[in-house]
Amino acid sequence: MDEKRNELKKIIMDTKTLPTLPGVINKLNSLSENDKSSVQEMAKIVSSDQVLSARILRLANSPSYGFYRVSTISNAMILLGVNVVKSLALSSSIFEIMEKNSVGLWEHSLGVGVAANLIARRLALPECEEISTAALLHDIGKVIVSLKCSEAEAQIRRTIRDQQVYMWEAEREVIDTDHAEIGGWLAKSWFLPDKLSEPIAFHHNVAQSENHRIKTAVVHIADVLIKASGFGNSGDCYVPQIQKIAWDVLKLNDQILAEVVEELEDKLVEVKNFSLELQGPDVPTS
Amino acid sequence: MQKIPLMLAEAGMVLARDVYRNDSPMGIPICGKETVLTVALIARLDNLDVKAVYVEGHPVWTDGDHSLDDMLLDLEKRFEKVRSDPLTSKLFDIYAEHLKRSMGDDGGRKAE
Repeated sequence: MDEKRNELKKIIMDTKTLPTLPGVINKLNSLSENDKSSVQEMAKIVSSDQVLSARILRLANSPSYGFYRVSTISNAMILLGVNVVKSLALSSSIFEIMEKNSVGLWEHSLGVGVAANLIARRLALPECEEISTAALLHDIGKVIVSLKCSEAEAQIRRTIRDQQVYMWEAEREVIDTDHAEIGGWLAKSWFLPDKLSEPIAFHHNVAQSENHRIKTAVVHIADVLIKASGFGNSGDCYVPQIQKIAWDVLKLNDQILAEVVEELEDKLVEVKNFSLELQGPDVPTS
Repeated sequence: MQKIPLMLAEAGMVLARDVYRNDSPMGIPICGKETVLTVALIARLDNLDVKAVYVEGHPVWTDGDHSLDDMLLDLEKRFEKVRSDPLTSKLFDIYAEHLKRSMGDDGGRKAE
C-alpha cells in the first residue's frame, strides 16, 4: 500500500506528468517573488497568452467570486489578488478536464466556492477571494486520481457503492491516501501559499490545519453545506459531519447557519446557470 | 413561483417578479412581472447579463419530477451517516425547513 502512495506522490510532485502548464506560469512565478514587479507587469505577461487569459477571466466571473464584470486580467489582479490569479492560471487546465469529464464534480466545486464566499463575507473574514479560491480547488485531488490512476478510481467508486462509505474512506482503502492529501501535494508542487494549500489538504480534518485554521474551517463547512444541498456530485452522496473545531473557530450559531443556507440556495440557481452556459447549447433544457 | 437559471427559461413562461440588471439590483427594472417570456426576450436578458429569473409556478424540475416527500427522503438519505451528530443534525433541520418552505404553498407541487 505504501508503495502505491509513494508512487502517486512522485507522479504528482513531478509536474511534467501533469496537464501541461503554460510557460507564462514560470515567468509569473519568478515575477511574484520579486517585490518590485508591478501588477501591470504581471498582467501583461498573463495577457500575452490569450487562451489562458480567457480561461482565467471565465473563472474570475464565476459566481464563486460574485463580481461578474471582470473584463481584463489587470482588473482580475486588482480585484482578486495576484495569488488568486496565479492559482486560477495554474489550475485552469485541470478545471478544463473537470468541465469536460465530470460536470458533477465541477458543479460541486463551484458550489463550494460560492458557499465559502458567502460564509467568509457573512463573518466579515479577511481575504475572501483566497478562501473562495481554496474552496474552488478543494477537490482538485480527485481529478488527479482519475487522470493518473483510472483503475484505482474505478475501484474507489465500487468501494463507495458496495460499502456505502465516504469517498475519502474508499480512497484510503484503495490508494492509501486521499484526494485532500493529493490536492495538498499538488498545491505544494505549484508553490501555492499555505493559505491556499492548507484548506485544500485539511478540508476533511480541520484540526490538522495549523496556520490557516479559519480558512480551512470555512472550506470544510462550505463542503458540508453543498453536500447537504445535494448540488453537483462529488463522488459520494453522504453529508460529512460538521467538525466541532470548525464550528467553534468560526463562532457559528444556528441563526448564521440558517441565513447562509437561505442565501446559498438562492445563489445556487446562478451557479447552475453558469455551469449550463459552459456546457453549451446541446444540453437538454428540462 | 420558482427562481430558475436563465439558461432553463423557455418561451411561454411568465415572470413572477420584476427583472433587474445584475449590476444595479436597486435600479429601474428592465422587464416587469407578468411578462410572458419569448425567445427574443430571453436572448436580450442574456445579453444584459441576467443570470436567473423568477417565474410563475414551478416549471423546472431537476432530477425528474420530485415532490416534497421525495426531496425530504433524499435529504434523509444524504444525512444518514450524521443524523446523530448534534451540530450536523441542526443543518438537517434547516434544510428540511427550507425545502418545506420553498416547495410549500408558494408554487411547490404536493405529492400526488
